[in-house]
Amino acid sequence: MKKFLSLFFLLALLSAQAELWAQVAVSGTVTDATKGDPLPGVSILIKGTSQGGVSDVNGNFNLQAPDANSILVFSFIGYQSKEVPVNNQSRINVSLEVDNKALEEVVVVGYGAVKKSDLTGSVATLKGGDLNKTPASSVDQLLQGKLPGVQVMTSSGQPGAGATIRIRGASSLNGSKDPLIVVDGYPWGDAGNLKQINPEDIESIEVLKDASSAAIYGSRGANGVIMITTKKGRVGETRITFSSLNTISTLAVKPDLWRDPIEEAIYANEAAINGGAIAADIPYTGVTRAGVYYPSIAELRGLDPDKAQWPYNTDWVDLVYRNPFSQSYTLSASGGSEKTRYSLSGNYYKEEGLSINNGYNKYTGKFNLDQQLSKAVTAGTNIVLAHTRNNGFGLSVDRSRIFPAYDENGNYFQIGSTDYGNPLSLANEVLNTTKTIDVLATVYVDAKIKEWLQFRTQLSTKYGNSVQDVYEPANVTFTGYESQGYGSIANSTYTDLLNENYFTLNKSFGSDHVLNFIAGYSIQKTNNRFSTLTGQGFVNDVVQNENLSAAVTKTLSNSLSRFDLASWYGRANYNLKDKYLFTFTGRADGSTKFGANNKWAFFPSGAVAWKVNEEPFLESLAAISELKVRASYGLTGNQGISPYQTLDRFGSARYYTGSGFQTGYGPGLASGNNEQGLTIVGGLGNNSLKWETTKSFDIGFDLGLLDQRFTLTADYYLKSTSDLLRLKTIAPSAGYDQQWINDGEVKNTGVELGLNADVLSGTELSWSIGANFTLNRNKVVAMGESDQVLIGTTYETVRQQISTYTVGQPMYMFYGYKTDGIIQTLEEGVNAGLTGTEAQPGEIKYLDISGPDGEPDGVVDSFDRILIGNPNPDFIYSFNTNLTFKGFDLSAQLYGVYGNDVFDFRKMTPSKQIQRWTPDNLSNEYPRANSTRGYKSSDFFITDGSFLRVQNITLGYNFRPELIKGVRSLRVYFSGNNLYTFTKFNTGFDPEMGELGINQGAYPRPRALSLGINVGF
Amino acid sequence: MNYKNYIYTALLLAATLTTSCSDMEEEPYGIINSVSFYKTADDAESAIIYAYANLPEVGYYSRGYYMVTELPTENLTQKGDAGVGNFELDELRTTATNSNLQDLWTYMYRGISRANAIITNVPNVPNMAEADQNQIIGEGYFLRALHYFNLVRLFGEVPLRLENITEASQVPIAKSSIQEVYNTIISDLQQAESLLTAEKISEGRANRVAIQALLAKVYLHLASSKSSGSPGYEFVSSADDMYAQAKTYAGKVINEQSTYGFTESLVDIWNTEVYKTATVSEHIFDAAVDRSGEIESNYSKLPNMFLPSDRAMIIPYDPLNSASAKINIGQGWGHFRTESAIYNAYADNDKRKTQLIVSKYTSEDGTTYNLDITSSSRPFSRKYIDPLRVGDKSSVNSSIIRYSDILLVYAEAAGPTAEGYAAINKIRARAGIGDLNPALGLEAFRDAVIEERALELAFEGHRLFDLRRTNSVEEILEYKYGKSITSGAYFFPIPQVEIDMNPLIQQ
Repeated sequence: MKKFLSLFFLLALLSAQAELWAQVAVSGTVTDATKGDPLPGVSILIKGTSQGGVSDVNGNFNLQAPDANSILVFSFIGYQSKEVPVNNQSRINVSLEVDNKALEEVVVVGYGAVKKSDLTGSVATLKGGDLNKTPASSVDQLLQGKLPGVQVMTSSGQPGAGATIRIRGASSLNGSKDPLIVVDGYPWGDAGNLKQINPEDIESIEVLKDASSAAIYGSRGANGVIMITTKKGRVGETRITFSSLNTISTLAVKPDLWRDPIEEAIYANEAAINGGAIAADIPYTGVTRAGVYYPSIAELRGLDPDKAQWPYNTDWVDLVYRNPFSQSYTLSASGGSEKTRYSLSGNYYKEEGLSINNGYNKYTGKFNLDQQLSKAVTAGTNIVLAHTRNNGFGLSVDRSRIFPAYDENGNYFQIGSTDYGNPLSLANEVLNTTKTIDVLATVYVDAKIKEWLQFRTQLSTKYGNSVQDVYEPANVTFTGYESQGYGSIANSTYTDLLNENYFTLNKSFGSDHVLNFIAGYSIQKTNNRFSTLTGQGFVNDVVQNENLSAAVTKTLSNSLSRFDLASWYGRANYNLKDKYLFTFTGRADGSTKFGANNKWAFFPSGAVAWKVNEEPFLESLAAISELKVRASYGLTGNQGISPYQTLDRFGSARYYTGSGFQTGYGPGLASGNNEQGLTIVGGLGNNSLKWETTKSFDIGFDLGLLDQRFTLTADYYLKSTSDLLRLKTIAPSAGYDQQWINDGEVKNTGVELGLNADVLSGTELSWSIGANFTLNRNKVVAMGESDQVLIGTTYETVRQQISTYTVGQPMYMFYGYKTDGIIQTLEEGVNAGLTGTEAQPGEIKYLDISGPDGEPDGVVDSFDRILIGNPNPDFIYSFNTNLTFKGFDLSAQLYGVYGNDVFDFRKMTPSKQIQRWTPDNLSNEYPRANSTRGYKSSDFFITDGSFLRVQNITLGYNFRPELIKGVRSLRVYFSGNNLYTFTKFNTGFDPEMGELGINQGAYPRPRALSLGINVGF
Repeated sequence: MNYKNYIYTALLLAATLTTSCSDMEEEPYGIINSVSFYKTADDAESAIIYAYANLPEVGYYSRGYYMVTELPTENLTQKGDAGVGNFELDELRTTATNSNLQDLWTYMYRGISRANAIITNVPNVPNMAEADQNQIIGEGYFLRALHYFNLVRLFGEVPLRLENITEASQVPIAKSSIQEVYNTIISDLQQAESLLTAEKISEGRANRVAIQALLAKVYLHLASSKSSGSPGYEFVSSADDMYAQAKTYAGKVINEQSTYGFTESLVDIWNTEVYKTATVSEHIFDAAVDRSGEIESNYSKLPNMFLPSDRAMIIPYDPLNSASAKINIGQGWGHFRTESAIYNAYADNDKRKTQLIVSKYTSEDGTTYNLDITSSSRPFSRKYIDPLRVGDKSSVNSSIIRYSDILLVYAEAAGPTAEGYAAINKIRARAGIGDLNPALGLEAFRDAVIEERALELAFEGHRLFDLRRTNSVEEILEYKYGKSITSGAYFFPIPQVEIDMNPLIQQ
């Protein structure tokens, strides 16, 4: 840390290389041009130097100008900058005009930036400062509810967990559905876990949504593009800022568990009896089973005259969860002269998980330098370093409270010899640590060949390494027991090299024609390398996985995947009379991933926009400050599959032949996993495999009223993706299982609205409100020769896959039986077409709705399965508001998802089990206790997953500048995250699910209360 | 430095990078495929290992085969929370979407694909000793025949794939008749018989004896199906010819080889440490596994399917010998439950019940438990146990062809002759139930052999086929044991996924 600091100071000194001349003292006042109020905190810079000052609380400034001809540059956020020559004046009063900010803002698009008012495509923007202040190991999570058309799902509250991002819906069946992340012009890959960037370093985030804006990324643009721009150095004296965020978290949702051991035992006994257990197998009857004494109900109650009352009533929530404390500290410095600009920052991040022994640490550093080498040539570099360490995992708390955590000898208590569920032993004895290192660097050279022509070449590289250490002792986990100690080290390394070369041309012809061209070439090479060492069978657990060579059984695996992407791209913007805007974009991509016949593909797009407000007939309507109508159409692609899918690949397997195992090779399988979850790479090749193509149409408008005090952006889009990359199931009689093919079509249509209103905008009091609305309708239009395929995992509870792709329906529809409450009499059960135990009173009444001939046949069987639910929300929405009064600011954000179904495997929690069907309580909602029930996938589990969450409330105070000498700014704030959720979903669980909408009980999302401090020097 | 130099440098750099991959050709890593394989004798050996490795897969002989062949019979039912597929099988109301049938279908055809790859490619391997080549090709034919024999007995008319598939265009294929499938099975086995020797190569691999044993079973299936009028077997021209062939080939196994033989002790037949190492054992052909394996299918979890889940169980190695060692066989999942029909079918003194069905055990803390045939934890077969199991990893092979099976094939084919009686009585003597009534007519004798097979081969995946080939599925399961059959009595429905994905096939 000391070194880090001295480096900072060194840089600070270098930049403050002040030259001392005959100086001129200048003072004055800065005011708001319209209101006349003094403006505090205005930055005043002497042009051509890094010297300057800041106006005080009364708008006054005092500084020394190098000479009488110096020019002062006044700049302040929200106002237009102004240059004032000193001209021998000693007192200069300056008034600054309010900036029509939204219109003059520059928006980063691929390979360049345009004025927001000149945008033709659909691009959503967010300033880094608008991100919520809450612990987030990856930036992606913070985008939730911030931008219309961008859906962010974080189904787990585990530290270090990423997020799932969908822009304008999911549009691939088996290919990647993740947007492309581009950081400072470098395409990093799929979004979802952007851990390398400290949110504090982000200047802006732009999301390219339509084909016109995303086509510049061609074959990677179909899922949308998220452009992240980090903070760069600015001309001016060195600014050092320090920020800290300290957070205490709590469980946001109280788990729905047994509160009373007696009720738990009664339920377990009843379930065993109803499940057909013989007397000896009814658990809580005062018997010893496999070395464990199970108390009787009377004993639990303390009513057994021969026994003392049962002493244990273990509160697992108390033992497993904690109120974690998390910290984040950022120190940064930036500044620069006209020739040199730099920015440097470092962050330490530590997030503790709700579960004990679970945490995430991160160190990131970023350095950015731009140096003007000559009048025409600028060079620069951008370096990002990240180191993370992830430790531990989520733990279950729904263990029986009848048994203790430790036995009388202080060992972890096991309920029977094959019980490996004690969360304390798992947390304390299992090693599971992942460390990652990422180094990302860009070096570029910009050359101004002519005033209107620029050339840029950029070399970027990315290196990352991840090492996962695992050890499971023989008596702690099932795997450990099976292996008699299981240790592994998994390594993965990736390297990525990118070279971009492009020309930018800007030329005006007369006052009516402005042309802007870019054209370039790029090549990107990616290499992913994996190896895993595994040892099974250790003498003892002392050295864990540190000496795998001592294992009885040792296994190795390694693999490498590499692919190249070569591209030619270009874009033309034509601005006619500053009213009519045209954009044409195209990119030709060649990828090694695709079949010999389809290596290259071309993705063109076009857009037009009409600035209606520039037309004479609207000029008289002064209230309308902006009205722009936009339309775009184009193609983007998706290449989101793994390499080598076009080649035929053999599989391997081992077979025991008496003296040992031999390895065999032969025709392989394409599917990801075998029964043991090991990846099999194999299968039938497909030389014709090609890109997925998305045709998108977008029409929208941007409306601004009263000098942009009220703005509305609205878009309607229609996305049709064809040649879907799909893992086609091959008729099993061919001996293969799946093959990557292109067929089928998915459609997404939707509406997005983004609204902002500066209700009050005074200098002392201002209030703004904003809202985002995203509505997407997804539909599988065709899918080769099938009308329906089941997808996803086979769930143990129902022993079938529960999600489907069905033609004519949205993706991920749930599939199963329909139910009609609970069977009340045996006769009712039999009449319903059920047999055996399924027909018993108290069981779930599945309905016979069809049969082999398409009509009810009196039997509930697989013909009776239909679509039972839709996990896609009707719409998602968010509200935010921001109130400032003098130094105080208060902001709030609400985020909501409406109209989605959740398949809730955890529906029968104890509070429901208490309401179960019994002969005395003829529930029509909750089935009887039955330990051997074979649930069917059915609408019994389907629950409305709508929710509205108070995502964030932040209250801050900005102390006046120079309150403490040398402190340019000081802000203290309190931020509460995930404060309350309005929902009808299963109490005991957070309603936010992953894309498939399946609840199996995820790592709980914490409620986080943070105290933050930002200091600027 | 002039800016132009930068540009030239950059363009040069770009050009260098570009030329290196301008054709976007993929360079695979660590991939073996048809281009690089089948070049050496070791490749050929590896190819046959891959074909065998399919057998102990979870969906095939390690679990799935037993679900499909045992649940429909009076031998086994399943635990209450088993999959819907199990219930459909148990209650003989199978549907095309039955996951167990689909899995088994898939694995059988994977085996066929691997065998086809051998039959197509191994003859072209250069510089390979002819004997080795013959050996591997012969095993390929044997495995293909075994898979088709399973397929035709389970599903009847099925697609007959005899070519190695390298293009998706080869996938659509129509069903072949039962007769065509049998023609292939018989010709494959005859080929294999001529290519293989009687030498036992290793555990888990077939030699000529296995081929002859399987051929005997194939002929017997044809013979009895024809003579009983079992559906689908009208094409068989003469039942007697087929019985004669069955007798010939079973006779070769019984009389003309010494690699495999009769094990006198019932418990020893099912002792992994005996049958894997004995010079002569009952196990003519097994899907081989070992507890040192890394994944299921390298080792077996089949014991867990049978063993109740309550607690680790200690039983005497030989229950009829009070001095016998005690073995801890652990505990299982209690997935399969023995049905009272088979349990009560044994005479009380039948050693196949007293020695091979566990109805009493001791727990690790010394408590004795009796298992009740009507409860959830029932008496269970101990044909699949491994006291040396490591956790759930067991060395229990799945027995595919056993000497006693062939002895009974021989008896059934030979009929009530001296040889026939000798064969069945050998089985009965070992079970301790005395000789069969010596005065039975042909039909009664063959019925008696079928009954004997039910008792001797229970839980080994034979009963369903015996009922089918004697046209007695309804007679036994419906009329005698009270099941109500709605589908799948003689042939199971072809899996829906095959029908969906293979445009030339229909149910």
